[in-house]
Amino acid sequence: MLGLLGTLNLAGQSLQTQMTGVSVAGQNLANVNTAGYTRQTVDIQTSPDIMTNLGLQGTGAEAVSIQQAVDALLNGQIQGQQSVNGYWNAQQSGLQSAQNDLNEFLSSTGSSSSSNSTTSSGVSTLLTNFFNDFQSVATSPTSIPARQTLISDAQTLASALNQMNAGLSQEKTSLNTSLSNDVNSANQLLSGIASLNQQISAAEFGGGNANDLLDEQQKDLNNLAQLTDISTTSGADGTVNVSIDGQALVSGSKVLDTLQTYDAGNGSLQVQTATGGVSLTLTGGSMKGTIDARDGALATLQNSVNTLASSLITQVNSIYSGGYSLAGTTGASFFTGSDASDIAVNSALVNDPSSFQASGSATATGDNTIALELADLGGAPQSNLQNETFSNSFDQTVGTFGDSLQTANNQVSNQTAVTNMLTNQRSSISGVSVDQEMTNLLTFQQAYEASAELVSTINKMLGDTLAMKSGA
Amino acid sequence: MISQTNDLRAQLDSLENQVTTGLKVQAPADDPGAMVTTLNDLASQSTEQQYGKNITTLQSQANSVYSVLQSLQTIVSQAQSIATEAGSATANQTTLNDYASQVTALIQQAVQLANSQDPQTGQYLFGGTASGQQPFTATTDANGNITGVAYQGNSSENQSEIAPGVAVSVNVPGVNTSGSGAPGLITNSQTGADLFNHLISLQNDLLSGNTSAVTGTDANNLQKDEDNVTYQVAYNGNVQTRLNTASSFASSQSNSLTQAISNVSGTDVVQAMVQLNQTQTAYEAALESTSRVMQVSLVNFLA
Repeated sequence: MLGLLGTLNLAGQSLQTQMTGVSVAGQNLANVNTAGYTRQTVDIQTSPDIMTNLGLQGTGAEAVSIQQAVDALLNGQIQGQQSVNGYWNAQQSGLQSAQNDLNEFLSSTGSSSSSNSTTSSGVSTLLTNFFNDFQSVATSPTSIPARQTLISDAQTLASALNQMNAGLSQEKTSLNTSLSNDVNSANQLLSGIASLNQQISAAEFGGGNANDLLDEQQKDLNNLAQLTDISTTSGADGTVNVSIDGQALVSGSKVLDTLQTYDAGNGSLQVQTATGGVSLTLTGGSMKGTIDARDGALATLQNSVNTLASSLITQVNSIYSGGYSLAGTTGASFFTGSDASDIAVNSALVNDPSSFQASGSATATGDNTIALELADLGGAPQSNLQNETFSNSFDQTVGTFGDSLQTANNQVSNQTAVTNMLTNQRSSISGVSVDQEMTNLLTFQQAYEASAELVSTINKMLGDTLAMKSGA
Repeated sequence: MISQTNDLRAQLDSLENQVTTGLKVQAPADDPGAMVTTLNDLASQSTEQQYGKNITTLQSQANSVYSVLQSLQTIVSQAQSIATEAGSATANQTTLNDYASQVTALIQQAVQLANSQDPQTGQYLFGGTASGQQPFTATTDANGNITGVAYQGNSSENQSEIAPGVAVSVNVPGVNTSGSGAPGLITNSQTGADLFNHLISLQNDLLSGNTSAVTGTDANNLQKDEDNVTYQVAYNGNVQTRLNTASSFASSQSNSLTQAISNVSGTDVVQAMVQLNQTQTAYEAALESTSRVMQVSLVNFLA
């Protein structure tokens, strides 16, 4: 038999237990909008029975722990998807800027019903115009206006190539900067995870649950995974060890090594461990995405543009230098420079259009042989441009680049769908439902009232018992 | 719910953009294949348009050449009339001298015509490819009679492209004594035409009263010149026909490329409008249901 005082004790404990339930529901409701928060539940168990002459008798209930409603497998999947997300988002944003540098967009100046005014904005059109201008000169070989148009269009083409090259180089620099920023963020997260490990291990040492710290830890891991792919192993005390490409970086409360960027040559930054100096082969995350965008589609684009520009310079000059100007001079170059970075129209020609060498003969100023050869160069397959014409080769470059960006765009939208699905799954397990918490709140409140009723009943009974003695 | 409404919003924006710009492909990443096809088509179209411009320039040159040819025909037939009339028995030396001075004037006119320039480009039409300088210069003696006409041009002609791989030549060299290549306008050794020298010998024969040479050799020679100019007129007509054909071919090519570009990268407005309406309906429905769901919670029902 518990007796009156034992039952009073039981009621008091019950009040505490239900109060814990109310406070857990309150904690959940307070964090309904907290990112990464995992719903907590109170684990209530019956208190140990005691042996009485009636047999085993219950002693009420107590809250033994506060648990997180967590699905470790799902959390692992979300963490893995973060790397894929980070990878494609970084590619997308890098290539999107490069698409602007490429500046090859279609536009339509007319109404939508008459699309004959479709024009393209970039080098493709400028190349065609350039070779067409040779046709104009060939048709009117001594005409100064035709030569002026040619020279001005050639200058526009050259400066468009200069700008594109400068833009792409700038893009490469900013991708390097973004890689460095990612490395800094990753280092901060690594030290954050290590210090959380220490707190978690301390909190759980006494058998407690460091629920909110575990949420923080998972959030940091997700953020780190977004930057680069990581492998994690969990310790029994709630700590987590982090390694990248087989290099252990966080073990328990210690940061074993951090990341840093290094120049692998030609100004392309890569990632290595700071102390160990081991260069890391990354396979996911925004760092890898940035590296791949820089060394993949962006580098291919810049190389193609440079190959095109240098072929253009070589081919045009080799025909042009054999021609004769209106004054009979010969041997000059049309373009100066060696690639897209420095291609320019020979300044002597800019100052004097009559020095354009259109004629194939020193004595026949009206001859158009060279101008016609230059015009025909526009339609001639070039051996170092995969036997494409200049214009087609550039169009192909645009297409190849477009493919890369389109892939990135599609992957980003697919990944968003996958992440949304996983996040929804996690919400259904770990997310806070206001309705459910309100119901829990009511349940605990009712139970608390009932326990309070028990206390007042026992109190009354104790009073009656004492009154019996004084009344006797 | 939010990601769904966002997706619908993005679709709506994209459709709206397609309808207002008339283009379903604008950036390389929108549809790389269509972008490449469109850029190639635009380049081909621009080239066709350039052929059109070439043809317009050449047509104007051909017209200039034609009007010179007409005037030359008149000059040759006038010289022929003079030769016939001078051969008649009634002509005395005074009359012959009058005729001679008429021929001198005809030569001067002919030289002036042969030095014609293209009004647009300023090129000399009959200097061959040495078209930057005046091709013919006449020399006269103390009496004002023409003693010779020198040619500073060459016997080459420029080829201009009017379609891929198709070239025509509109300019005519003034003199070709090489026995091959383009027939010269004034002198052509292949047919024996040599207008200026023939007119000069007519002038000289008239001055010297050699009427038998006037009606004989000179009249025969002038016939060769007439034939030569007639040949040039026919050639010019032929070139103009080719130019006209090429011009309509270039513009029809350009039009069909416009159609091709529109098919590949243009918006099908009807289809886009239908999609726009459908998407808008879906978007409104999504917003409506979201707003209803968000209003309801257990909290509303707890007193």
